[in-house]
Amino acid sequence: MSTPMSRRRFLVRLTNAGAAVITLMLSIPAIGFLVSPLFQKRTVSWVRVGDIDNVPIGLPTPFVVAMPIGQGPPGPPVNRIVYVVKTADSRLFAFSNTCTHMQCNVHWDPGLSQFLCPCHGGLYDLTGNNTGGPPPSPLPQWIHRTLVDPGTGHTILEVQNTFDESI
Amino acid sequence: MVRFFTRPFAKRSRSAYRWFDERTGSTELVHKGLYEAVPEKGGWAYTLGSATLVLILLQLFTGIFLLLVYTPSFTEGWGTLNFLQTNDRFGAWVRGMHLWGAYVLILVIGLHMLRTFFSAAYKRPRELNWVTGALLFFLVIGLAITGAMLPMDQAAYWTLVVVTNIPHYVPGIGDGLRQLWRGSDFVGQQSLTRTFAIHIWVLPFLLFTLIGVHLYLLRRHGEFGSWVNYTPATADPEKELAERLRRAEPPYPTRRSERRWAVPRRTVEFFPTQLFKDTAVSLLFVTVIFVFGYIVGAPLSAQGNPATLTYVPTPEWFFLPLDQVLLLAPGTDLIFAGIALIGVASVLMIVLPFLDRSRERQPLRRPEVLLPGFFLIALLILLTVIGANRLWNL
Repeated sequence: MSTPMSRRRFLVRLTNAGAAVITLMLSIPAIGFLVSPLFQKRTVSWVRVGDIDNVPIGLPTPFVVAMPIGQGPPGPPVNRIVYVVKTADSRLFAFSNTCTHMQCNVHWDPGLSQFLCPCHGGLYDLTGNNTGGPPPSPLPQWIHRTLVDPGTGHTILEVQNTFDESI
Repeated sequence: MVRFFTRPFAKRSRSAYRWFDERTGSTELVHKGLYEAVPEKGGWAYTLGSATLVLILLQLFTGIFLLLVYTPSFTEGWGTLNFLQTNDRFGAWVRGMHLWGAYVLILVIGLHMLRTFFSAAYKRPRELNWVTGALLFFLVIGLAITGAMLPMDQAAYWTLVVVTNIPHYVPGIGDGLRQLWRGSDFVGQQSLTRTFAIHIWVLPFLLFTLIGVHLYLLRRHGEFGSWVNYTPATADPEKELAERLRRAEPPYPTRRSERRWAVPRRTVEFFPTQLFKDTAVSLLFVTVIFVFGYIVGAPLSAQGNPATLTYVPTPEWFFLPLDQVLLLAPGTDLIFAGIALIGVASVLMIVLPFLDRSRERQPLRRPEVLLPGFFLIALLILLTVIGANRLWNL
């Protein structure tokens, strides 16, 4: 037979239980709030880049696009680069200028005929493949589509505020 | 009551103070704070800890003032600081002091650590003084790097992008960590809001809590100083040790310490001997910050532009070693390996007192600890120099 609990011991247990409940009640909403960005739905939207008929073949041409963040509370869109590339075999690319190494701003270097990242010297060729430096994967592309402007018959490029692969 | 107002001023203020003191114990508190024994030799070296505290308080002070104008906004933030730089000479000065204060603080807390490392002050029973101190060092680095992300000029924007991307290389949970810091996959307003909250609330809260623990532990065990304060001066060390223990003034003899290291041979009172040296050194550092904060100030480059094709992001000088590691390690696995290596080195630094358990305190007699330590410092300096040289030639 177990000995009856003393009044003192009972009070200590009750105090501990009370403190535990307070901690729990503070933790559940706080931790949920902390990790909630991981579970929020991403709003995907199409953004118009512009008329790409004049983009020369073999020369990456940068367009500035006001890109909605698409996550979290409403905030201002952020200007991002869309590098439009047309190749001789008539392929179309819509690269972001985000380096896959540390997300610095790559630019097309006409001298090197490659995309160059100024931070750590990452290099990509015309079609975004890695040609040197530390980047672990090819240059990301914005998810994109083309439409024909019914008025002018020109090709219009639109991009989504997401990459075709996660970097 | 009438008598109180008719007595001479000196008497009145004395009785007012007595009233206050009887109710608060303020004199006792001040005496407890000031009349502590500290080791006699090497007092100038022990000023680095108090200088660190002074510099942290200076950061708190200048930081609060910056909050009077700065708005953590992607679109408006830069403008508020640009206004200071162009229209408010004193505001720009305060901002300059906040930046130079951070630079000097990183150097001084590093020197403070180095001094403690060199004199083996982290050994039993002061292991947790070291652990809290090492954590404080990393908190200061964290404050410096989050602070560098806030001005929303080009330098700050690209620091925000690159540094919040680092957690992405942690296997498995990396993308989640990055998203939690940024609030989104891409850097946007939420990334700034969160980093701002971390810089002004999360890290300072942890910092001041740990400073409290660090100072409590310092007072509990007393300043160790260094081995020079413990070498026996007489032919009969045993007798001398017993005599020292008998005459020890609080906080000595240090509890849970070996007899040999429990009481310094000679002590002085913290006030005024040590406090004078502390004040002199703090005065020197604050003067440097006061002058550099005005003359050089804090730079503010053009407004942060995520669509720039010409800006070359460069790290703050205290991040050059990390940047150099990133440069040397291509490919996902190697990048993670580089970051993991720095993480492991940091953990080893924090748990140093549990790795180096020998009783020896004489620097020359513990090369097994000092040589790896100095090798690491040399490596940091080398990587900084290589990095600076690379940026110089960019």
